[in-house]
Amino acid sequence: MSNSTTSVKRRKSFGQWLKSMRGQQIVCTVTFLILPLLLLFTFTYLPFVKMVQFSFFDMRYIGRRVFVGLENYIDVFTRDDCFQALLLSLYYMAGSVVQMALALLFATILSFKVKGGKFFRGALYFPCLICGISVGFIFKFFFTHGFVLDTLLSWVGFNIDTLPYWLRDESINNIVLVGCSIWKYVGQNIVMFIGAIASVDSTLYEAADIDGANAWHRFKDIILPSIRTIVVLNLIISVSGALSAFEMPYVVTGGGFGTSTYFVIMDKLAHTDQKVGLASAMAVVLLVLIMIVTYIQKGVERWLNKRDERTPKALVSTDPNTAAQAASASPAKAN
Amino acid sequence: MKKAIALTLAAALSASLLAGCGGQSGQTSESTQSGSAQSTDAAETGIPAYNELTVGEDYTDLKADLKFISHRTDLIDDGTFDGYVAEFQKLYPNITISYEGITDYANDMTTRLTSNNWGDICMIPTTIPLPELGDYFYPMCDLSSIQDEYNFADNRAYDGKVYGIPSTGNAQGIVYNKAVFAAAGITELPTTPTEFLDDLQKIKDYDSSIIPLYTNYAAGWTMSAWDAYIGGGATGDADWMNITMPQTHDPFAKGVPTGDEQSGPYAVYNVLYEAVKRGLTEADPTTTDWEGSKPMMNNGEIATMVLGSWAIVQMQDAGEHADDIGYMPFPISVDGVQYASAGADYCYGINANSSDDNKIAAMLYIKWLSESSNFSYDQGGIPVLKSQEYPETLSAFDGIELVADTAAPTELADLASNVQRDAELTLNSDQTHVMRIVEAAINGDETLDDIVADWNAAWNDAVDRNAPQE
Repeated sequence: MSNSTTSVKRRKSFGQWLKSMRGQQIVCTVTFLILPLLLLFTFTYLPFVKMVQFSFFDMRYIGRRVFVGLENYIDVFTRDDCFQALLLSLYYMAGSVVQMALALLFATILSFKVKGGKFFRGALYFPCLICGISVGFIFKFFFTHGFVLDTLLSWVGFNIDTLPYWLRDESINNIVLVGCSIWKYVGQNIVMFIGAIASVDSTLYEAADIDGANAWHRFKDIILPSIRTIVVLNLIISVSGALSAFEMPYVVTGGGFGTSTYFVIMDKLAHTDQKVGLASAMAVVLLVLIMIVTYIQKGVERWLNKRDERTPKALVSTDPNTAAQAASASPAKAN
Repeated sequence: MKKAIALTLAAALSASLLAGCGGQSGQTSESTQSGSAQSTDAAETGIPAYNELTVGEDYTDLKADLKFISHRTDLIDDGTFDGYVAEFQKLYPNITISYEGITDYANDMTTRLTSNNWGDICMIPTTIPLPELGDYFYPMCDLSSIQDEYNFADNRAYDGKVYGIPSTGNAQGIVYNKAVFAAAGITELPTTPTEFLDDLQKIKDYDSSIIPLYTNYAAGWTMSAWDAYIGGGATGDADWMNITMPQTHDPFAKGVPTGDEQSGPYAVYNVLYEAVKRGLTEADPTTTDWEGSKPMMNNGEIATMVLGSWAIVQMQDAGEHADDIGYMPFPISVDGVQYASAGADYCYGINANSSDDNKIAAMLYIKWLSESSNFSYDQGGIPVLKSQEYPETLSAFDGIELVADTAAPTELADLASNVQRDAELTLNSDQTHVMRIVEAAINGDETLDDIVADWNAAWNDAVDRNAPQE
């Protein structure tokens, strides 16, 4: 069969080629790809290119545009509020580390047989399903002086009059907001981690048990190395999320009392002051920052990998095959 | 094969890119064309001017489907507008009007205006600079032809053409609870900031569970409402807000522009700063609740709120004590005379790209709304027509000089908004600067003078950048 096709191949017309196996494959691939690529292009790349273009102009949404070169970028770096706001991201970054740790803890516990495990999985994931705006309102009432939280604390013996104003007091309000943010997003990480942990070969646990490993050893030497890829991925997502924190400060405090993050400031400049160029420049700067942070994290990961390869390995996790297998299987599972 | 796929994809992408660009440029040129065409031939085509139409007599068999976009989602939901449409259809049975409400009106509408077919009538967003009105809206008539009959006719007018008819007028004052004032022994309404702050203190001394002044900080827009008081009301000068201020250095400094510390923009913001600092406002501004504040005002748990006259009806409807709700002018006097800012609410505008029939139908409906529907009176606003009567709630404004901020002359039309945006002090629409006052007063880390110095610096820069070329 292969012989006959190759011999006629030269004389094949376009119509015939279209009907051939290969032609069909290509037609299918192209037609299936064209729509998603078109959507990706129109709704992601085109706006992005436009945004970069806007960042070089002094412009409003409507009206004349003046090309100003790099002036907007210089403004971003010389204004005090922009980078001051990035300092707030440190709170959110610290929060994302706490979030990872909590998620790992819960995911590990829930991966093994626990009473009511299904219920807790659902309960922990539930906040992710609530719309951000309602979360904002929930927390506004939760933290109102003398309302939910204060009442709860007064039952445990705190005196309401000595409790702080949670959202007003500038020494704690950012921590409170980060807490809300963790509450909302931790469920997502848990679900991903549970998926990743499920792909770890269970014979490893048995082998470890025989070697006399306790729960902590199991976690440190089997689970963590096996799901490292997914942990790093989540960390990258959380850190870039921390840099672009917006929802909680915007909905809960409206950016007041020192809670205005980079994004909240960007929103104000773009929409009320209509400094579209400046806001676009801020967005580009943020994008570059996130890329830098991501590369640093990737670099650290690679460095860790190399170090692992060089040093003699301990315990079961050292089997590169299973580790690689688990790692490659995990993203699919998590999705 | 991989090459073939790559090639086709590249071709497809570049084709769509070209198509995208082509479509876009085509569209823009089309819109500018139609825009300019509209403004030139409007006079020649047979559309009569707004003032020439007689509602109920002209065009009674006109057929049109109108789409009306409004910010009053509450009135759409409770059927008030449907009632108006039904009344109007008694005169014009063939004109149908469908309403659409937008909650985040100013922002969303600004975006939607960039497409040509958003509908026929909308409330003109104040974000559109006056010189650009003609690109989006149909010029209904000459300003001179309705100026004598209509209040605030020049609000959305440019170059002698009226692009928007005011839906109602607002006076800027303070909503207060008469019962609380009486119980605290306040018999005369305050006329200066000092008297007002003293009165708030009296209320606090009378019953500390009553909040003397509720800021509604968390709602945001309620904070930007404070900017509405720094115009004619605080200065007695109708030109201040749109003409003088955008050309004045240090407009926020103490005693500017009246030379008296008890008036001018500084005095307005100082009322807020001092009230917060002296503990005369709610303890935790971050958790205030706008909807919840209305019944509190109605029940006398809140004594005053600084809001435009549109708020009166909402406070009255929020509980059983509608009679307790009163409205007083902002306590600032210039040389012994108390002024109050007054101005148009949103104005009705007609899409420049609507068909001729729709434009005529839209003008008929707008004219009917303004002249025959009683809309303004029902909403407790200043009447649209000079001949209509004032609602009872505004009786405290008897003898108060109402100052409507004059619109800037053509050559300075967008100066005010440009200066405000460049200075990042978009008065009346952004709240961050007013929020800063509350924060500073609570934290005690900045005085009002510090804040005002920052504003002045940014403002002076913007004034210099936008200074009109002589």
